[in-house]
Amino acid sequence: MKQRTKGNFHQTAAPLLFLLPNIVIFGTFIIIPAVQGLRMSFTEWGVFTTPRFIGLDNFKELIADEVFWKTFANTLSYSFFTVSLIMIYALALALLLYKNTIKGEKAFRSLFYIPSLLSMITVGIAWRFILGDEMGIINYLIRASGGSGVRWLTDSKLAMVSIIGVSIWAQAGYYMVILIAGLQAIPLDLYEAAKIDGSSTPRTFISITLPLLKSTLLVVLVLATITSFKAYELIAVMTKGGPGYATKLIVQQVYQVAFLEDRMGYASAMSIVLMLIISLFTVVQFKVSGRDQDYE
Amino acid sequence: MKKACIALMILLLMGTTIFAAGTKEEGAKKEVTLSVLWFNDANESDVFLKTMDDYLKANPHVKLDLQIIAYNEYDQKLKMMISGGNPPDLARITTNTLSVVVDSLEPIDNHVSDVEAVKKEYLPSMVAFATNKDGKFVAYPTEATANGMLVNKTAFDRAGIDVDEVSKTWTWSEWETIIKKVVAANPSMKYGLAVDFTPHRFSTLMYQWNGRFLNEDQSNIKFNNPGTIETLKWFKHIHDEDLVPKSVWLGSENPAELFQAGLVAGHIGGSWNINTYNKNVKDFEWKAVRMPQGRINSSVPGGKFVASFKGTKNQEEAFKLMAAFADKSHNERYSRDTFNIPSRNDAQVTYPSNSKDFEVFLEELKVTPAYTANEWKNTNLSKITTYIREQIVEVLLGNVTAEQAVANVDNRGASFFR
Repeated sequence: MKQRTKGNFHQTAAPLLFLLPNIVIFGTFIIIPAVQGLRMSFTEWGVFTTPRFIGLDNFKELIADEVFWKTFANTLSYSFFTVSLIMIYALALALLLYKNTIKGEKAFRSLFYIPSLLSMITVGIAWRFILGDEMGIINYLIRASGGSGVRWLTDSKLAMVSIIGVSIWAQAGYYMVILIAGLQAIPLDLYEAAKIDGSSTPRTFISITLPLLKSTLLVVLVLATITSFKAYELIAVMTKGGPGYATKLIVQQVYQVAFLEDRMGYASAMSIVLMLIISLFTVVQFKVSGRDQDYE
Repeated sequence: MKKACIALMILLLMGTTIFAAGTKEEGAKKEVTLSVLWFNDANESDVFLKTMDDYLKANPHVKLDLQIIAYNEYDQKLKMMISGGNPPDLARITTNTLSVVVDSLEPIDNHVSDVEAVKKEYLPSMVAFATNKDGKFVAYPTEATANGMLVNKTAFDRAGIDVDEVSKTWTWSEWETIIKKVVAANPSMKYGLAVDFTPHRFSTLMYQWNGRFLNEDQSNIKFNNPGTIETLKWFKHIHDEDLVPKSVWLGSENPAELFQAGLVAGHIGGSWNINTYNKNVKDFEWKAVRMPQGRINSSVPGGKFVASFKGTKNQEEAFKLMAAFADKSHNERYSRDTFNIPSRNDAQVTYPSNSKDFEVFLEELKVTPAYTANEWKNTNLSKITTYIREQIVEVLLGNVTAEQAVANVDNRGASFFR
C-alpha cells in the first residue's frame, strides 16, 4: 500500500513539481499576456485611456485595411523565401561540416555560427554600412571600379531580396548546428551497408539521410517559420519597412498601430490574427511532415 | 542610591540620543534621488549635468539618476512608464512627445505662486506648445528649435555663386537652376539637397507651398489641399531629377552623414545640426542660409522641454530643479554649450562660434506662421504622421499619385479626430 503511494507520487506529482517552475514562467509571460491580448482585441484602447468593449469591430476594420493586407502578403513572401533558403543553405553547410573529415571544420562551423549569436540590431547596423546606397561599402567599391552602384535598400524589389539575404546569413548557422546534431545521430552502419550495396551518393542522401533527418528538419522548419513571422529588429534598422511598404511585415505594422497610432485594441486584433496564422502553419507543418514520421 | 544613579544616567543617555537624532533630522534634509529620463541629439546630457553642477553642489541631498534612452525608443519607453504608473520624476521632452503625454504632465501652476510671470519669461511659441487644453503651463521650455537650411559654402564658391547674396530672396525654382550649377562645378558632389526623413521636415516645405495638415479650426485632418498636393508633386520632381538623394526617403540613409561627406550641397534639418556640423565638418566651409521661398517663407518651430508627471513621489524637488535649470543663467549656459536657441526672452547667449547661423534660424522663425506651431501641437496629428511619411514615399515611388496620397491620409486620419 505504502509502495503504491510512493509509485503514484513518482509518476504523477513529481513530474508536475519539476515542471512547475516552467509552467509558472510560461503561464506568467506567455499564457496570461496572450489571454489579455485576446481580451484587448475586442476593445478600443489607447495607452492613456480606459478600454471600451467594441465587439468584433477591430476585426471587421482589419478585413478592409489595405496596409494590413500589404504587410500580410510581405510577411508570407518573406517567410516563404527566408525559411526555404535557410533550410537549403543550413542543410548544405551541415552536410559539408558534420563528418569531422575536413581540415579546419570546427573553425568553419564557428564562423558560420557566430552571426546567429549577434543581436539583429547589430546585424542590421552592420549590413546598412555594407549595403547603403550612398555610404555603403559595396557601392563604394562598385563606383570605385567604374560602376554606378546598386540600389540594395531603395529599390522596392531589391530591398526585400537584401533583407532575405541578410536574414539567411544571420540565422543559418544556428540551424546548421541543429542539423549537424541530427546528421551525427544517424547510425554509420546504414551508410556502410548502402556503400556495400553500391548506392550512389545522391541515392544514399535521398534514401537514408533525408528520411532519418526528417524529424530534425521539421524542428528547423517550425523554428525558422516562427522566427520569420516575428522578424522585427532587422527590418526596423535596415529599411524601416520601406521603401514605402516594400519590406514592412505584420509585426512592424502592429508596432506602428500600437505605439505610434496609440490603438492598442486594434494592434491586439492584428496580433491575434498573426498568432492564428503562425499556429495554422505550425499545425500544417506537423501534419504534413509527421504523416509517415520515423521518430527513431 | 546606586539604583537611582543608574536610572538617572539611563534617562540622560536617552534624552541626549533623542535630542541628537532630532538635531540631525532638522540639520540635514532628507536625501532625494530624482529619476531623470533623457535623450541626446548631441551632447545635451553631459551639458545638462555640467550646467546643474552648481545646483547639485548647493543641494547635496539631491542626487540624479539619469537614464539616457535612444530617441527612437524614447516615446515608447516614456509612454510605458506612464501607463505602468511609474513615470520618471522629470523628463526631457520634444514638442512631438509633449502632444502625446500632455495630459499626464503635472502643471507648473500648482508649484509656483505666479505662473503668468513665469510664462512671460519664455518665447511665446514655446509657451503655446507647453500649455494644455485647460490653459495650464505644463513644461519648462529649455531650448527653441527651428528647421532651416545649411549649405556647403565651399561648393557654392567653386561654382562662382555667392550663396549669401542669392539666398537673400531666392525661390525654389531659382534654387533649382543654381543648385544644378553647384553640383556640376563639384565633381565629388552628387546632389543639391538632403531633407530629413521626417514629416516634420517635409512640413517645412509644405508650409512654404501654403499646404496644411489640418483644417482651419484643427478639428479634423485636411491634408487634401492644393498646397500639400503641389508640395508632393514638387518633392517627387526633385527626387526624379536627382537633385535630392533617393537613399534618404526611400532607404532612410542619414542626411547629416551625406552632408558631412560632401555628397550634398545643402541640408534641411533642425537647428541642432549647427552643433553637429560645428564638431564634425572640417573639410569644407558651411553655413546657414535662408530657405528658398515657395508661396511664402516658413520654418517649423519646435523645442525641447523638461517636465514632471502627475503622481511622482519627488515632485517638490523635481520642480525646484526644473525651475533652476530653466532660469536665465542656467538656460544661457545650456544653450551656449549645446549650440541651441535659448527658450527665454531675456537670454543673452554669445556662442563660441556660429552666431550668424543661429541668427538665420531665428529669422526663419520670425516669418513662420503661427498655425504651424498649433498644428504640430495637435495630439491627433502625432498619431498619423508615420502613415503620412509612408504615403509621401508611395508618391516618390510612383505607386500612388499625390492626389491619391492626400485622400488616403485624410481617410485614415479622420478616425483619430472623431
